[in-house]
Amino acid sequence: MADLWNLIILNPMLNGLIALTSVSDGSFGLAIIALTFIVRLILLPLTIKQLNSTKSLQGMQPKIQELQKKHGKNQQKLQQEMMKLYKEAGVNPLGCLWPMLVQFPVWIALYQSIMRALATTPESLLDLFRHLYSWEVVTRALPLDSHFLWLNLGVPDGTMILAIIVGGSMWVQQKMVTAPSADPRQKSMNSMMQLMMPFMFAFFTLMFPSGLALFWAVSNVIGIVIQYWITGWGYLRRGASTQVVTKAGGQSGITKRP
Amino acid sequence: MKQTKILFLIAVSLFGLVLASCVPGGAQPAKGWAGITSNNGTLYMGSMDGKIMAVNASARTQQLHFPADGEWEYPITAPSGGGLSCSQTSASVAIYGTPAVDEALVFIGGYNGKVYALNTSARSQNLDFPQMRDNEWFYPKTNEVIGAIVGSPVVSEDAIYVTSSNGKVYSLDKDFGDQRWESDVLAKKLWSTPYVEGDKVYVSSFDGHLYALSAEDGSITWSFATESKIGFVSSPVVSNGVIFVGSFDRNLYAVKVESNETLWKFAGDSCFWATPLVSNNVVYAGCLDGEIYAIDAGSGTQLWSFDAGSPIVVSPILVDDSLVVAAESGNVYVINSKTGTGERIRNPGNDNKPTINALVQATPCVQEGIVYIRGQDNYLYALDIEQGEVKKFPLVTE
Repeated sequence: MADLWNLIILNPMLNGLIALTSVSDGSFGLAIIALTFIVRLILLPLTIKQLNSTKSLQGMQPKIQELQKKHGKNQQKLQQEMMKLYKEAGVNPLGCLWPMLVQFPVWIALYQSIMRALATTPESLLDLFRHLYSWEVVTRALPLDSHFLWLNLGVPDGTMILAIIVGGSMWVQQKMVTAPSADPRQKSMNSMMQLMMPFMFAFFTLMFPSGLALFWAVSNVIGIVIQYWITGWGYLRRGASTQVVTKAGGQSGITKRP
Repeated sequence: MKQTKILFLIAVSLFGLVLASCVPGGAQPAKGWAGITSNNGTLYMGSMDGKIMAVNASARTQQLHFPADGEWEYPITAPSGGGLSCSQTSASVAIYGTPAVDEALVFIGGYNGKVYALNTSARSQNLDFPQMRDNEWFYPKTNEVIGAIVGSPVVSEDAIYVTSSNGKVYSLDKDFGDQRWESDVLAKKLWSTPYVEGDKVYVSSFDGHLYALSAEDGSITWSFATESKIGFVSSPVVSNGVIFVGSFDRNLYAVKVESNETLWKFAGDSCFWATPLVSNNVVYAGCLDGEIYAIDAGSGTQLWSFDAGSPIVVSPILVDDSLVVAAESGNVYVINSKTGTGERIRNPGNDNKPTINALVQATPCVQEGIVYIRGQDNYLYALDIEQGEVKKFPLVTE
């Protein structure tokens, strides 16, 4: 299993990352940024699907709230009606989860690639050779320089700057897509989620190599740009009012008020 | 929606836990691969649990209680932060180099960035360290450290020379541990063992330079860089005015000392990690591609090659006309150094298993015709290459 993981995911990513370093004038940080763009480009169809799914779910909020009012006391009935609503609208409520889940192996492989590529201990350097392709562009970049801007990419950033960037960009991204809710329970849940996720990733940033956190930060920024391109600033702008319209065929979406 | 978010939270938390529990293949901790050296019938080595040990092979064969007469061990430790607790503990230090022995003193560098001189007599009596009257010392003498030490210390006349991960070479007084000089920063880090010849100290660097330093004051007297700025991964060896050194670009370089001329370069299918051995105008170089190559030192022509089946990370040893090669897998081969024909020493317990059932990453040594290898399983293996016998002794003591 480990061999298969190395063959299919880890080794291509590791060698790709080192090759990118080679063409980035030896900057491992620039290579991570370039890799983030590549990963986000590969996942773009999934991301667009996720955003459309989220957008559809947002458009259905009034109907969901209506159902909550109507069947609030009967949870089983409420769930049934909500599933019916999703089915009619052709929306999978778990649809927005998959693009994130797909990224998990990428994150793990990236974490392993960064730690292997930087080879901070003699054992790591020796082990690195087991995973390298015989490309000149790879061997030319070795050994890698772990420094980028103020960061040592092999260790967590102790300055909190990256943690703030990762947490902040994640908060913006979440805020753009989270619809305000009239239901107090849902509202409090949303608020908790909006804080919890950025906080957790900011915490991870303090625990894991800053190279991985750099990936998160750049990935979040790219995510914000894609989101802006598809939905605009969404719910980020305080007081930005949105009008929910139901499209023909049950599809719903958000249109910005002129 | 609520379920979705909870699921997502769980997934994110799991991801954090998976990463936090050290995903296999993440950072490899520094464990060490200290080699063995032989002096006056005693073997000196570092163990996997951070001890410097003096072992008498005869006493081990007789299975005497450790330490027998002349044997000793000394744990090298360093303060370690107590993590979330406020307490400070001490942890064993990884040792990578091979100890250097000069009369009664044993020198070693630790991954904690300190150099140690241990007196065999004081250690046999288990006296407190350091015994100044026995010329024991550690460097730096304060609580400070230099960068992690990976290469072996080298003794020459009244000085010892070590490289450090801070990119400098240090020369220390052999008897008192006083600093004679420290070089300029030559590279971001230096992990190679220096080669001392005459009044010059030669070092290779990861950023593709070879340096000759004055043994007197550490000044750079000559430097060489490959055209492509490819880094050097192995330690250098100097023979007949030529430096032989392995590089990241899968080549073994032969460079004329004090010139900027590459005499030749020899390509393998992977890196030449191990320090090459030069004897009778032949370079024996183990490669991570699993081959041991015999190369004419003058022309760079391949004389023969032998497939050891797995990467070779330690230098070969010459015992008379036989070349003993230990592959990382644990297989040990005895090869005719002239013809390149050879065979594997069999595992006495199971012929299907490697000669020794452990990884070999530490430099072996030979003493009275017996080859001693410390496996990464923390056992000392004694190989009688004529009889094909293999014995093993544990290096963990109570």
